[in-house]
Amino acid sequence: MRILGLLAAMAGLIVLPLISSGYVVYLANLLLTFTVLCLGMHIVIGEAGQFSLAQAAFYGIGIYTSGLANTAFGWPLPLSVLASGLVAALVGLCIGTLALRMRDIYLALATFAFGEAMQWVFLSWTPVTGGPNGLRIPPASLLGFEIVNDRQAYPVVLAITILMIWATVVIARSRLGRAFRAVRESEVAALAMGVSVQTTKLAAFALSAFFAGVAGAMFAIYSTYIHPDSLGFQTTILVLTMVVVGGLGSFSGAIGGAIVFGLISELLRQAPSYQEIIYGLILIVFMMFAPRGLFAFIGDNLKRFARA
Amino acid sequence: MRKELLKVENVTVRFGGLVAVNDFSLNVAQGTIHALIGPNGAGKSTTFNCISRFYQPTSGRIVFDDTDITHAPASEMARYGIARSFQNLELFNELTVLENVMIGAHVHCGGSLPDRLQAKPPAVMRHIEEVIERTGLGPYREHKARNLDFGHQKLLELARALAIRPRLLLLDEPAAGLRNREIASLDRLLTDLVRTDGLTVLIVEHVMQLVMSISDRVTVLNFGTKIAEGTPQEVRNDPAVIEAYLGKEAAHA
Repeated sequence: MRILGLLAAMAGLIVLPLISSGYVVYLANLLLTFTVLCLGMHIVIGEAGQFSLAQAAFYGIGIYTSGLANTAFGWPLPLSVLASGLVAALVGLCIGTLALRMRDIYLALATFAFGEAMQWVFLSWTPVTGGPNGLRIPPASLLGFEIVNDRQAYPVVLAITILMIWATVVIARSRLGRAFRAVRESEVAALAMGVSVQTTKLAAFALSAFFAGVAGAMFAIYSTYIHPDSLGFQTTILVLTMVVVGGLGSFSGAIGGAIVFGLISELLRQAPSYQEIIYGLILIVFMMFAPRGLFAFIGDNLKRFARA
Repeated sequence: MRKELLKVENVTVRFGGLVAVNDFSLNVAQGTIHALIGPNGAGKSTTFNCISRFYQPTSGRIVFDDTDITHAPASEMARYGIARSFQNLELFNELTVLENVMIGAHVHCGGSLPDRLQAKPPAVMRHIEEVIERTGLGPYREHKARNLDFGHQKLLELARALAIRPRLLLLDEPAAGLRNREIASLDRLLTDLVRTDGLTVLIVEHVMQLVMSISDRVTVLNFGTKIAEGTPQEVRNDPAVIEAYLGKEAAHA
């Protein structure tokens, strides 16, 4: 059953660009990018239980690194994607070393402040980011072939997404993944089991930054323009909402949340002034009535319905 | 003469002006069960937390297997082969019994990168399954820790500690809140672990029924100072112990 569903999803994803309009393919690229962003947030918040609110900053670092790798160095695509992830992870490591001395709300505030500071850097560092004018992203090239539209970018974006989903699963099942959950559940018990709590938190933080950096590189593949305005707290909250809507701590929830909520947010673009109010409301409603996320909520109610 | 596996030498712990533990020394011989008892607030848990490196003694030394561990970090204890349980349950609540025990085996899941990436390292799984069976948690393998009843949660604390494959097991009130039947099976399990597996156990416990039955030696603390030490029989008849527990009149009665 599960495998059939997976195959159907794969088939759908493969034929999608063949049967749909350019806008739908663009949307698919965007949703896949958000999926990777959500996986990153899932690792640090859902798995390791560390409230990091700097996802948009690492996303931005990924986008600009990728842009720079293309224009200034002319690196091939796989290398620039990897570089985007690594630079984001490196910055994450530095910030994490400082911020992870704090916990809970203090950690959230520290990472929030870092995110805001990074947005200011994006706005001011004109040679790299174009500053307030934004940056035109040159087309990426893969094996000498230039990617100039969404349809050409789609297979690459999809491949990276699948790779990142696979990586998330491998990490979750590994020794490190178990250490993440141990730290989330009880730091003192984790210590007694020989888990180095601080290193584990740092690993989660850096990995989540790596994911966000790769998501940034994905965005740079199909996008032609980036402005620092879209790399602020708003984006972090959007990703957080996706992860919460999908179900905090659930891997498939993070993916489902990215897709369902990504669609909602795309619809809401028609009404930009209400967008944030609606995000906020959705976040509150879910935390109150479906804290385990949309899919667990539907599942529970279906079960109750079946029993009645 | 048995080797002294753990030596606590003249340990003093001060919290501000309060002396919680005063010049306390203790030797635990390999392959024995040593109980640390005393009235509430006697400094048992403080001593216990010093040995497991969660507290830092103000002065004194803690030596494990001839290695000075007075300044070793708590996260290193599992590697030394020292495991502990927690008085007020510190389980990984949202994780399954199996996962809880697997995290207990954390230090044995290291090695090369492919080894670290394994979901169920075969070399470790055999021991884990054995621990789960031995503690009677087999039927609950896939249950979340928070859904277990209290008795099984206590057992899971023990199972997780055993997954470390410890040489020294530190148990902080493992019998507190257990029913008589559960205490009896804990008694059997601990005795078996020491007799057949050669484990060494230091246990802080209030349940005298268990202490008197399993301990090879008992140390009694009161107001942070050792007031008696000996076999369960000796300690039971010691006037200073009776006084500490029941008051002066009882001691002279």
